[in-house]
Amino acid sequence: MYRSQKLALRYFTASATLFGVMVIAGLLSATYYVFPHFLFGIFNFNMSKILHIDTLIIWLLMGFFGSVYWFLPKELNRELEGIRLGEIMFWVFCAAVAVVAAIFIFVQYGPGDETSLWLINQGRKYVEAPRWAAIGIVLIVLTFAYNVIGTAIKARRMTGILWVLILDLIPLTLLYLDAFPAQTNISHDLYWWWWLVHMWVEATWEVLIGCIMAWALMELLGTSRRIVETWLYIEVMLVLGTGILGLGHHYFWIGTPRYWLSIGGFFSALEPLPLLGMVVHAIYDAGTHHMQTTNKPAFYWLLAEAFGNFIGAGVWGFMMTLPQINLYSHGTQWTVSHGHFAFWGAYACGVIAVFYLAAQRSRGLNMVDNRSWKWGFGLLNFGMVGMVGALLIAGIAQAFFERAEGGSTLQAFVVAQSNPWFEMGMYSRLAFGFIFAAGYTVLMYDLLTVGKRAPAVAAQSVAA
Amino acid sequence: MTPDALVFSAIMLGLFVLAGGSYGVLYGAGRIWRRPQLIKTGFACYGIQVLVTLAIVALTPLSIMWKVFILLSCFAYALIPPATWRYLERLHHTEGKTT
Repeated sequence: MYRSQKLALRYFTASATLFGVMVIAGLLSATYYVFPHFLFGIFNFNMSKILHIDTLIIWLLMGFFGSVYWFLPKELNRELEGIRLGEIMFWVFCAAVAVVAAIFIFVQYGPGDETSLWLINQGRKYVEAPRWAAIGIVLIVLTFAYNVIGTAIKARRMTGILWVLILDLIPLTLLYLDAFPAQTNISHDLYWWWWLVHMWVEATWEVLIGCIMAWALMELLGTSRRIVETWLYIEVMLVLGTGILGLGHHYFWIGTPRYWLSIGGFFSALEPLPLLGMVVHAIYDAGTHHMQTTNKPAFYWLLAEAFGNFIGAGVWGFMMTLPQINLYSHGTQWTVSHGHFAFWGAYACGVIAVFYLAAQRSRGLNMVDNRSWKWGFGLLNFGMVGMVGALLIAGIAQAFFERAEGGSTLQAFVVAQSNPWFEMGMYSRLAFGFIFAAGYTVLMYDLLTVGKRAPAVAAQSVAA
Repeated sequence: MTPDALVFSAIMLGLFVLAGGSYGVLYGAGRIWRRPQLIKTGFACYGIQVLVTLAIVALTPLSIMWKVFILLSCFAYALIPPATWRYLERLHHTEGKTT
C-alpha cells in the first residue's frame, strides 16, 4: 500500500468521526425544536447548528481528500509528490478542527470586533471558523493541490480524470478565499458569500465527486477509462452549465437585483436534466453487471448516490426553485429538507461507497457482503427519507401559514411555529433522526469490523 | 399567489420531475433486463408527466415564461432516456471493438 493510501485511511477515519459529530449535533438541534428550553444558556441552539453544518462541510471535504489520496497513486502508478507535507497537513487539519470545535462549544461568541473574527467566530454560515483556522484551511487545500498537480508533473502522465480534477482545484481554492469577510454592507456580503457556498456545493464539489466516482466505477465495476472519462466530460459540462448560474436561486430577500431571480430559476430548473441522464447511466452499469460485484455495499451506495442525487437535488429542488414558489419557501424548513436530501444523495452516499472500497482493498478482501451493511444502508436511507419528508411537511406548513397566508409578519411566524403540521414535522424529524443515528452506528460497526469478524468472509480474504 | 395555489403548484412541479425520473428508471430497467412490460410502464409514467405538465399550464398561476419552459422540458424528458441509452450502447460497443 502506498503512503498516500495510508494517509487516505486516516482521512477516512477523521471523516467518519466528524460524520458522527454531525449526527449528534443534528440530533441536538432537532431536539431544541421540540424542547426549546433544552440546555438553554448552557449550550444554545446556534452552537449546535454551527457544529452540525460545519462538520457536514468538513467530513465531506475530508472524505473527498481521502478519496483522491486513495485513488491517485493507482492512477499514476507512483507515490504522491510531497506526501510528507500532506501527512503533516492532515494532523494540522485535525488539530485545527478540534480546537475550533472546542471554541464553538466552550467560548461560542465574543464582542463584535477584529479579535473575535480572528480567534472565535467569523459569523458567516458554513464558514464560521475563526480567521486563523480559515487560513489553515487555505494552506491545507493548497498542499492538497500541490500533492495532486506535483504528482502529475513528476509522473509525466495526464489522464482525462486528472485534467478535470486539476482544473477543478483552481476555483475550489480561489473560491474559499471568499470565506474571509471584507464587506460591511450585509447585501454585498451575502451576495459574495453565496458565491463561495453555491459554487463549492453546486459546481466545484460536483466536479470533484464526479472524478472520484469515475475512479470508483473503474475499480468497482472495471468500467473502461474511455467510457468513464467520456461520461465525466458530458456530466461536468451539463452540471456546470446549469449549476453556475443557478446561483441566482439563493438571491432572495437579500437586496440583490431582481433579474437574478429569473436567471437562478431558469438554470436551476435545468439541473434535473443531467441528473436524469446519470440515473439512466447508473441503471445501465448496474444491469450490465447483473447487480453482481465483489463489493456489494460500495455498489449499492453508488446506486444510492445516483438516485439520491436525482430525488434530493432534482425532485426536491424543482419543487421550490421557480421564483414564484421560492419567494415563499426560501429559508423555511422546506429548504432544509431539500438541503439534507441533496447533500445526502450528491455527496454522502458517494463518500460512503469509497469508504467500503478502501476497506476492501486495505484488508485484502475478495468479497464484501454481509448482513450488517444492509442494516446500515437501510436505516440510514430510511432515516434520511423520513427526516426530509417530515421537514418537507413542516416547511410547506411554514410557507403556507407564515408566508403566503400570514404575510411574513412576526405574528405569522409565531402562529406557524405552533401549527400542528409544523410541530408534527419537527417531532417526526427527531424520531427519524434517531433512526438515522442508529444507521450511522451500524455503518461504523460494519466498516470497523468488515473482513475481521465473520469466518466466511475472512476465509475469502486474499491474505488467507 | 394564494396559499392553496402555492402548495398545488409546488406539488405539481415535484410530481413533474418524479414522473420524468420514473420514466427514465423504468425505461432503463426494461431495456437492460429486456422486459417490455417495464418499458411500457415507463411510457405510462411519461404519460403522467404529460398530464402533470398540462395541469401546470392550465391550473397554476405561474407566469407564461415558466409554463413554456415546463412544456419544453417535458419534450426534453421524452428524449433523454432513449438518447442516453443509445449513446451508452454505442460507447460500450465501440469500446468492445477497440479492446
